[in-house]
Amino acid sequence: MKQIIFSLLLFSSLIAAGQDFNKSLADARGAYSGGNLEDARFAMQQMLNEIDVLVGKELLKSLPAKFDARAANTGSDNVTANTGLAGVVVHRDYGTGEKTATLDIMTNSPLLASINAILSLPFVGNAGDGSQKVVKIQGYKSILQRTIDSETNKTSYSLQIPLNSTLITINGEDCSEAEITRWANLLPMSEIAKLVQ
Amino acid sequence: MNSKILIITTTALLMSFAATGQGLVGKLKQKAEKAAEKALEKKAEEKTGIKTDDGSESSGTSNSGNSSGRPTNKGGGGLVSTPPDVKQNLSDAESAFKSANYGEARYAVQQAMLGVELEIGNKVLASLPESVSGLPKLPEEDQVTSTGWGWAGLTIQRVYRKDDKELSATIANNSAWMSAVNMYLANTGYAQQTGGQQNWKQIKIKGHRAVIEYDESSGYKISVPLGQSSLIVFQGTNYASEQEITSAANSFDIDGIKNMLGEK
Repeated sequence: MKQIIFSLLLFSSLIAAGQDFNKSLADARGAYSGGNLEDARFAMQQMLNEIDVLVGKELLKSLPAKFDARAANTGSDNVTANTGLAGVVVHRDYGTGEKTATLDIMTNSPLLASINAILSLPFVGNAGDGSQKVVKIQGYKSILQRTIDSETNKTSYSLQIPLNSTLITINGEDCSEAEITRWANLLPMSEIAKLVQ
Repeated sequence: MNSKILIITTTALLMSFAATGQGLVGKLKQKAEKAAEKALEKKAEEKTGIKTDDGSESSGTSNSGNSSGRPTNKGGGGLVSTPPDVKQNLSDAESAFKSANYGEARYAVQQAMLGVELEIGNKVLASLPESVSGLPKLPEEDQVTSTGWGWAGLTIQRVYRKDDKELSATIANNSAWMSAVNMYLANTGYAQQTGGQQNWKQIKIKGHRAVIEYDESSGYKISVPLGQSSLIVFQGTNYASEQEITSAANSFDIDGIKNMLGEK
């Protein structure tokens, strides 16, 4: 039932976003034909925002409903569009209590340059103490970082997967390397790549 | 003894002549080979109509700086500046959006935005004065830069120069520098420096709040924020005084530029 309600909400919001896009498109055309360049530009910025929001919602639809026993908390799904600066940021979290995980997809991420630099230098990517290493997820080189809580002694992992100009980050609390790698392999990479291109 | 010395000298002389003779023969042989090659090439050229390079004589000069034998580019037409067609890109965006091809739709909207920004930039450039404080404009240095991305926005630049005196006007729209300049203007604590040399202060240019700065190596700089997201920066090199650079900045139609950029 919950899933049906969520799907209906998502569908209706997509229709609304489509209408906004068409309205902004009409505004842009009208302003440009009338020589009002600044208004045309503003309308185009709105169009970009609306596309970004739609892309974000499509991305959310493609994400897995659960990471093993950690179910998606779809109520906290979030799409943020920042025209140009960082593109669109999609957030979803999974699980409850101490067993949680978060998934963030950021298009045009400003962090990519430093991550790609690490990935292109094989002697930098792997830490001697095993706290950081380079792994491959569905063919994409990624950075896996491990942190151990000094009080609880629980292990957390962070996995950063660069996908062209997009960065996918999975953070898993109290999990193992095998688990976070398995979750990353659930992501529909080709679909995500097509949406964010 | 004498006869021995004579024999040795004669033998040495004969050997040196022989060596010289061999060298001469070798050179003659080389010349003959070259002549034969040339004759053959000429015949081949006559038959085929294709001219061949005479590498034997010019090999040391024509390929200088190109030891690998790869050709170097000697010129070309360059790239033709073609601003994106706004209407076409809007139509492309519409059809891509309808077919749920959001990546393409986004690209087309960005291209359309780039086209509009370049048009705005050229319009602003056309409105700037032809000369300022006796300095003529340098039309070849006019620049409109747009990323079509929004955050880096639109940058328009005009340079006026005569001898060693120069004024550059840079107009930035949707600029990331805005926050820094507005911070100066909003916080009166930053407004004046007490003690030491005064290197910057607030002034007004045609009723707009501005910041004037002075640096011994780069000269005067006046930054005028316009509305919410635009900024004009005047950079004066070899201007004699604060008054001179201020009057130069005052000769610009700041309100006109502000209107063209859609600022309130």
